[in-house]
Amino acid sequence: MSLKSQIVPIFLTAVSLVIIYLALQLDLSPPMIVGDSMQPRAFPIFLMLLNLILTAALALRFYRHPPKDQEPILKITWLTMVLMVVFYALTVSIDMFVGISVVMFLMSLIWGQRSVLIAAANAILTPFLVFLLFDVVLRIRFPRGVITNWYYG
Amino acid sequence: MLEAATALGSVFLDPYLLFLIFATTIIGIVIGVLPGLGATTGAALLLPFTLTMEPVHAIAVLATIYVSATFAGSITAILINTPGTSAAAATTFDGFPLAQRGEAGRALGVAVISSTFGGVVSVIVLCFAAPLLARVAYEFRPPEYFALTVFGLSMLASISAGGAIKNLIGGVFGVWLSTIGAERVTAIERFMFGNYELYEGLGFVPVMIGLFAMSELLVQSKVANQAVEFVKMKAVQLPSREDYKKIWKTVVRSSGIGTFIGILPAEGATVASMIGYSEAKRWSKNKEEFGKGSIEGIAGAESANNAATGGAMVPTMVLGIPGSGTTAIILVGLMVHGLRPGPYLFTEQVNSVYQIFGSMFAANIMFLLMGLYAAKIFARISLVPINLLWPIVFALSVIGAYALNSSLLDIWIVLIFGVIGFFARRFGFAVAPIAVGLILGKMVEVNLQNSLKIFYGEWWQIFTQPLAVFFLILAFLGLCGSQIFAMITKSKKH
Repeated sequence: MSLKSQIVPIFLTAVSLVIIYLALQLDLSPPMIVGDSMQPRAFPIFLMLLNLILTAALALRFYRHPPKDQEPILKITWLTMVLMVVFYALTVSIDMFVGISVVMFLMSLIWGQRSVLIAAANAILTPFLVFLLFDVVLRIRFPRGVITNWYYG
Repeated sequence: MLEAATALGSVFLDPYLLFLIFATTIIGIVIGVLPGLGATTGAALLLPFTLTMEPVHAIAVLATIYVSATFAGSITAILINTPGTSAAAATTFDGFPLAQRGEAGRALGVAVISSTFGGVVSVIVLCFAAPLLARVAYEFRPPEYFALTVFGLSMLASISAGGAIKNLIGGVFGVWLSTIGAERVTAIERFMFGNYELYEGLGFVPVMIGLFAMSELLVQSKVANQAVEFVKMKAVQLPSREDYKKIWKTVVRSSGIGTFIGILPAEGATVASMIGYSEAKRWSKNKEEFGKGSIEGIAGAESANNAATGGAMVPTMVLGIPGSGTTAIILVGLMVHGLRPGPYLFTEQVNSVYQIFGSMFAANIMFLLMGLYAAKIFARISLVPINLLWPIVFALSVIGAYALNSSLLDIWIVLIFGVIGFFARRFGFAVAPIAVGLILGKMVEVNLQNSLKIFYGEWWQIFTQPLAVFFLILAFLGLCGSQIFAMITKSKKH
């Protein structure tokens, strides 16, 4: 049995144990409030115990029939995940719509769009139109930033 | 009854609602033909756009997306051998070979007619079955609801992707997610880590958008540069009299199968289409044609998957238990718009309920017309480069998630659950059980708490309630039935 084939059950066991630990740290409610019902920690602990049983069954299955080796995650997928973090950083620090435009533009290029012009047009027009739709039709206010400050005044 | 019929018919006298259904049918078909963007992702993305609408209009939009995207998956399944939605996977078996033989128009014609028939039958069943089930559900108390939700969760074991154990783990994880926030009775904060925006719990919408749309975006990044083979087609052909003779029994049978499977909690259009296809093959006189371009195969899969849409709405609206990923989002839509799913919906808001049913009926008619006259145009949309399409999905996802509560935390949740969903799928876990678990989680815990109160803390009293026991037995059979059956068969052979 290779450790690699058991990576998922090991991860799930670790997560379940962490959640059980966190649940055990929850405050106990006075019996007068709880009454005949259960403590707030009881249900999550029960769920994680159930998950441990299911994970044991999964580990047994993987022991009998080891899962196929996964292909490595492509660079393009990792980069897309990085772009998500970039988006959040830009949203918090500059403006949500700047974040969206930058990420859309970079994502198009990373995903194989050869024309910078088309990628840029898509990255500018789409957020602009969606913004107009949400602002004018749905009357939703977006978080303050460089562009929204200028627009909202 | 008269009130229901009037409400049903009023859909066709409301020009604004008809326009909404028309526009949403177009959007639904576009979503359906774009590989990777299915009904579930489409509904999750469109939910924020419905915020300012009347409740009935909003749910009509979501239901129309469900119906039209489920059908539209067949267009790309037939023309480019790529099912637009997982529910159309079985359609590729015979649809694409028929298209390669130069009969793409005929294949699409059969798909459109079969889908419409399946969809209409299921809406009719929905109109009659839902109130009947609601009448039974009036008698449910917390123990029965607890057992029912356990049954619903147990059915996750048989969702098509993943595998029983993995799906159950996903479901349990989803139920645990529902415990995040302040506990209902004691107000003790659980797993909030000091973040008071989580006091009311995790928002359903950002989790759904993350699990379905954002994770799909990461999955699609693998095929960013993939080329597709496109089969040319002149026009969609209505089936000939010979075709009708050949397929009518299959269409009727698969419509029944699809509706029944849709009604089962947590079963959806994908399972329905697979069973519809295999049953079509089992009963066919021309079994050898299957896999080589059989119109019975297309009819079996397509009528079943669209019939499942109406069926899946029964447990969603009557019991608050979603029948599929998309109905999970429709359920969230009902709650967001203040329509409390459950039997009381059928007494308190009977007009709204039947208008929603009527909208589904109208959506089936609209996609029939669009399928027949515009399928060729819609098929072209599937050729939009995904390096432009998915960045748009990204923008819609984050803006949509923010719009619901004007909370930046929701954007974080979308991104985090996108990554969780991606890794879950990578390791063979379906994301739908997590979503269904999250929705049913509160119901399970609250009804367990209430049952304990009713029985003064004696939990075993739940097993003294006949209906609760009935649902728990069903849950047990759902989990272990196939193993028990296999053991019995094995011992008989020995």
